[in-house]
Amino acid sequence: MSGSGGHDTTIRGWAVDPGTGHEGAAVLEVRDGVLERLVWLSGADAEGLTPGAALILPGLIDLHAHFREPGNEDAETVATGLAAAAHGGFTTVALMPNTTPALDEPSVLGRVLAAAGASGSPVRVLAHGAVTTGRKGETLSAMGELADAGVVGFSDDGAPVRSATVLRNALAYAGALGIPIVDHPEDLSLTEGAEASEGYVATVLGLKGWPAAGEAGSVARSLAVLADVVRDVPGARLHLTHVSTASSLEHVRAAKAAGLPVTCDITPHHLALADEWIAGARRWAWEALDGDGRARDPWADGALVARPYDTSLRVNPPLRSAQDAAACRAALRDGTADAIATDHAPHTEVDKHVEFGWAANGISGIETALSVVLAAVAAGELPLATAVALLTTGPARVLGARGGTAPGLRAGEPADLVVVDASGAWTPSAASLVSKGKNTPLLGRVLPGVVRLVLAGGRLAYAGD
Amino acid sequence: MSAGSERPEGAIEAPAAAPAHWAHRHLLDVDALTRPDIELVMRTADEMHDVLERPIPKVPALRGLGVTILFYEASTRTRVSFEVAAKNLSADVVNIAAASSSVSKGESLVDTVRTVEALGADMLVIRHSVSGAPYLAAEIFSGSVLNGGDGWHAHPSQALLDLYTLRSRLPGGLLEGRKVVILGDVLHSRVARSNVWTLTAMGADLWICGPSTLLRGFEAWAARGAAGRRFTVTSDAGAALQDADAVMALRIQKERMASGLLPSLREYAARYGLTNERLRAARPDAIVMHPGPMNEGVEIAADVAAGPRSMVTDQVHNGVAVRMALLYLLAGTRRTEAGA
Amino acid sequence: MTGRRIMTAEDIRRATIRISHEIVEKHAGTGGLALVGIQRRGVPLARRLAASIRDNEGVDIPVGALDITFYRDDLSLVAQQPIVKGTDIAFDLNGKTIVLVDDVLYTGRTIRAAMDALIDYGRPQAIRLAVLVDRGHRELPIRADHVGKNVPTSREEVVKVTLEEVDGDDAVEIERRPGLAAVGGTAA
Repeated sequence: MSGSGGHDTTIRGWAVDPGTGHEGAAVLEVRDGVLERLVWLSGADAEGLTPGAALILPGLIDLHAHFREPGNEDAETVATGLAAAAHGGFTTVALMPNTTPALDEPSVLGRVLAAAGASGSPVRVLAHGAVTTGRKGETLSAMGELADAGVVGFSDDGAPVRSATVLRNALAYAGALGIPIVDHPEDLSLTEGAEASEGYVATVLGLKGWPAAGEAGSVARSLAVLADVVRDVPGARLHLTHVSTASSLEHVRAAKAAGLPVTCDITPHHLALADEWIAGARRWAWEALDGDGRARDPWADGALVARPYDTSLRVNPPLRSAQDAAACRAALRDGTADAIATDHAPHTEVDKHVEFGWAANGISGIETALSVVLAAVAAGELPLATAVALLTTGPARVLGARGGTAPGLRAGEPADLVVVDASGAWTPSAASLVSKGKNTPLLGRVLPGVVRLVLAGGRLAYAGD
Repeated sequence: MSAGSERPEGAIEAPAAAPAHWAHRHLLDVDALTRPDIELVMRTADEMHDVLERPIPKVPALRGLGVTILFYEASTRTRVSFEVAAKNLSADVVNIAAASSSVSKGESLVDTVRTVEALGADMLVIRHSVSGAPYLAAEIFSGSVLNGGDGWHAHPSQALLDLYTLRSRLPGGLLEGRKVVILGDVLHSRVARSNVWTLTAMGADLWICGPSTLLRGFEAWAARGAAGRRFTVTSDAGAALQDADAVMALRIQKERMASGLLPSLREYAARYGLTNERLRAARPDAIVMHPGPMNEGVEIAADVAAGPRSMVTDQVHNGVAVRMALLYLLAGTRRTEAGA
Repeated sequence: MTGRRIMTAEDIRRATIRISHEIVEKHAGTGGLALVGIQRRGVPLARRLAASIRDNEGVDIPVGALDITFYRDDLSLVAQQPIVKGTDIAFDLNGKTIVLVDDVLYTGRTIRAAMDALIDYGRPQAIRLAVLVDRGHRELPIRADHVGKNVPTSREEVVKVTLEEVDGDDAVEIERRPGLAAVGGTAA
């Protein structure tokens, strides 16, 4: 994978191109890294090329990943994170700024980009800058300088922008720069010490409840602030990341209907897993609903198959009820949510192999994201074209022009695509995951969809067996 | 969906004449215990109760076995009860209190459990402030782990001794249809959660009562009726106590005021304190229980705590018998690969 | 049933009567005499012996039941804990002559455990042992004072005593140990 020369290959499969809306059997010829020819096939030529066989997709884009460098290289480095991204089918990643030190001024960004360059990975690295200095929530970061250095968003992720006043100023200032504020919605006064989504499962397990209002209240506040700011600063934009509850999504839906410049993303784990996993259930969230759309009772129906309190399930925001997960999928289908973002959050064993309530929050998810989404597609929960758009053109639109990404299968341009064996299956394990973070509840679970080939900007990023 | 039709097999059935074999390597929660399991514990506790009545209340059943009692939270009653129980069974007992071990120097639970095992423990009794911590210990420990209380989650031995005490006072030892009230801070109570499982498994008409701030989440649980088990949640103490057969008061901690869950201890005592006056609504032969330690004058009046209805000292005495039974039953599975 | 019958109900009845006579004879009367059956089948046997003594001597002697589970020396070897069946000794053991009663005497380990258990209840003047069947293969220096029938066996065999009060009928049979039975053997 060293930087020399482009890649030559011919690929036949079921191509999905949300850039043009085309989907069908196709053959692609890549010469010296450039997609020279794309021919849509029909009739006998298309024999055997179905969505269930080889899928050809534009390279995936992740709006939200933590590569931990600088500061916590035991958990992940830019190099290992990029290798994991490629293994997951991602050719563009936007990194969160909660490193140590925080990415609140251009020199930290320089370190990250230097590490990316040194890694030799062709996966494109984008970065969000901090909203506030040191992510302390007090004074604005060096926003203008960071904008000049190329950041694509501002976020204090890991925590919300606590003060509404700071948020208001940030939206206005960044809005004038044409950069969105990427907020982590959480009302810390409602979530202090919280361990699991408030409700039946948390109550039975004796875990401190994390109320839905602890997210929806923050969403509502931020939207109210945005409505004020956007009157004076038309360029102001708000992106809400890892939205997880039905009530939050209702707020976003209403705001979009009112024409506010808001976007949001949802993680693979919030659309596909439910809080009952903490009790030991291991079924997909869509399997945990009864005929009336209510969450089933894992204690009653024999669904508890794994050890409870697995800390790989401790995540912020917490896994929600199966109904909330259903609301997430509905929002992804109807356009309320704009993207699926991984919130890839690798942690060391030292930080995870501890008591549940003391474990670090986060799931290492960039390598399993596509498989989880394909599981939802296979279950009929998301149309394939929608799912692909949510991983490509959706996040590209959130990033806007500064992201510099235009996902699509276009002849004459450097190939940026992923080939997936949709009929194949794989099992994440400590050995099969490239990321340093092995903290995923999907270890040992057979997942659909094996990434076979990833080309990023015309160069080989990943090649499977 | 009818929750009642989906209960796991054997969860709520008529008392089994033939006792099941004990198949649980660990006792981490009571949610997985079937009614025959519970009957077996009760029956074994009866035998242990008889042992306690003997001139020499000691049997050699666990001779040569190491029982380590690892408590990360201060406790006198439960720790001593386990210690006496293990010694009555002739086990070799080691006590580790968090404050006097490397725990306080920041050694992880995982490392501590490995150390305890290397030092020869066959069984581990653990108490921890974090819900679920005993499951982590059980993942590492090759012997049996007995949960001595974890966070807000579970206190299996307490629930079983409460059940044993209730049965000793009810005709035929039967709880079917008997109205049992748990009164107080259920939100933070592992005792309440474990009692929900055991009392409903035995068919009691369970009522959970307290200020609404301290009932949070229990409405959702009651509505679901996990595994076909149903109970009533109310903040109306009068309705809860009406015709009750038994009332279990829970400790109210001062921290609840600081965190804004209650206006004052005085107001709590006035509205929910278990007084003789309030107990008039209960059945004339109703009994009163408390897992201790008690705040007399807050959740329970001093004359009730010391009165004829009070089973508090019975609970302590029965606790030793029930814990002997649990240690004995778990010891039989420690070398097998039976599931938890 | 695949077993070979070695005692019928009538054999058991006669042996019980004979042992009851021997007990009284050896003790030279019934004063200070008590019977303690070992759970489970020793208990009905002890009651039958007491009934026989009442018939012969016109005296009711105390009968108790002893559960030796907590005293077994093989608890660490068994996969699951034996179910405890209960001890019920409603009389004072001190100074009495206690006749332990069990169905089968084999290795002697049960009797060793029973003596340990008994001594936790008091200090008898003497402990004697009555069994319905002695099948040999002792592992401890223990012998019975009163034996219904001596039966030579191999270690691969199981002596199965059934009693009316527990099993519905009276019989003693010898079977091959189930684990060593030939393929296709019926369930015991």
